[in-house]
Amino acid sequence: MSVMSDLAKAGTLAPARAEFRVLVVDDDPDMAAFLAKLLSVEGMIADTVLDGESALGRVAAAPPDLILLDVMLPGADGFTICEKLKGDPATAMIPIVLVTALEDQASRVRGIRAGGDDFLSKPVKREELLARVNTLRRLHETRRELEARRLAAEVQRKEMLHKAFTRYVSPRLADRIIAELGDGDAPFRSAAQRVSVVALFADLRGFTRLTERTAVDEVVGLLNQYFSVITEAAYRHEGTIFGMAGDALLVGFNVPFPQPDAAARAWRAARDMVESFNPMLAAWTAQGHMATGVGIGIASGEAILGNIGSPHFMSHTIIGDAVNTAARLVHMAKPAEILLAGPVYQAISAQIPAGAVQPLGDVALRGKSDATPVFSVRL
Amino acid sequence: MAAPLYNSGMNDSAYNVIVAKDLEDLIPVFLRNRSKELEALRAALAAADFEQMRQLGHRMKGVGTSYGFNRVSSIGKLVEDGARGGDRAALAACIAEYGDFLSKVKIAYE
Repeated sequence: MSVMSDLAKAGTLAPARAEFRVLVVDDDPDMAAFLAKLLSVEGMIADTVLDGESALGRVAAAPPDLILLDVMLPGADGFTICEKLKGDPATAMIPIVLVTALEDQASRVRGIRAGGDDFLSKPVKREELLARVNTLRRLHETRRELEARRLAAEVQRKEMLHKAFTRYVSPRLADRIIAELGDGDAPFRSAAQRVSVVALFADLRGFTRLTERTAVDEVVGLLNQYFSVITEAAYRHEGTIFGMAGDALLVGFNVPFPQPDAAARAWRAARDMVESFNPMLAAWTAQGHMATGVGIGIASGEAILGNIGSPHFMSHTIIGDAVNTAARLVHMAKPAEILLAGPVYQAISAQIPAGAVQPLGDVALRGKSDATPVFSVRL
Repeated sequence: MAAPLYNSGMNDSAYNVIVAKDLEDLIPVFLRNRSKELEALRAALAAADFEQMRQLGHRMKGVGTSYGFNRVSSIGKLVEDGARGGDRAALAACIAEYGDFLSKVKIAYE
């Protein structure tokens, strides 16, 4: 359920006099009709059943706000039905008024032990009935209002979390993270964990030279346009943004939730970034800016996910070999080129047009002892 | 809701009952059920089924005054007590009185 739908629900807080539904359980149809009539005259919605088993079924199907329960019923008596309802967490909060012509002390005590909230004696006096029902109705409405306030506060908390999350992850992923949060959970685990990840680095190739020839204000504007396009592309494929520095963007897949098709998502996100950037590139070129383009590197492997930094500055990010390899690849990438490490290419090769791929062989990447098989895709 | 006009003696006013206006639509069914109840009491008396009479009396006691028919409740209590004691003659008198009441009852709605 999305935060917005939670908010919509919270917006329908219980009005001062909401619909109040009463289930009348009495084996005497005349008594059941009489009680129902008095309640309906007072604006309540009354439903009647003639035995305890039917009452249990009706409560399960549509829990009422209050039950008037005759004690002397055929089959399971009112005490037994009351005990069952009060023993079930789903129905325990429904107030029950035991209606009885039994006036002995033992019956009253048994009713209290069964969990009855109040008693009503037969013959039933209209004023007494309404006084007791209205008291329980006020309690019920107070409880409902408190629950609505609690829900509204919870929705507000989740909305704040949602705003914070959507700086880092797609709105859909933020919804999912929040939905899986317990009341007391921290949004991110503090303990670092080892994860299998597909890391994507995107970089605006030639940007450094562009900054040397462009006014500062204009550079910021261009950068914001660029990041808007590629972060939206990352979110469309449910990537999680872990870092943004200069003109580079680090996106992780398969974190923080498993994505069995993580490599395919990363590939689609990369293609989406390059293709989405093309119209902007054309506009920039038309404005006289030098030609540039998005270069991308993708690698997979183990990484460590955690809060990294000092007490004064900390990032929730991924570090490790996959991230380093993707960083090395993006530095090699030309504009509109996607460089894939071998295992990523193997996982998604069927999705790439054969003519678009060029194997670059085993490449010695800086800082890595073993050569890495690299595949280039030009869009 | 005003109290019914029933007095302890079975004079004319004993058959007059005032019922709350908002219960008016329930009264035809209520009276039909009382007639059925009377027949059931007679059958139970003939069969000396005291448990059946006790249950019927208990029900009359609960429902009568609720609708404004105090006499139904008071006869019901007598039937319930009589059935517990197995007092056949007293029960016969109660049932006869119930039949008389139902045949003559006059209802006003306020």
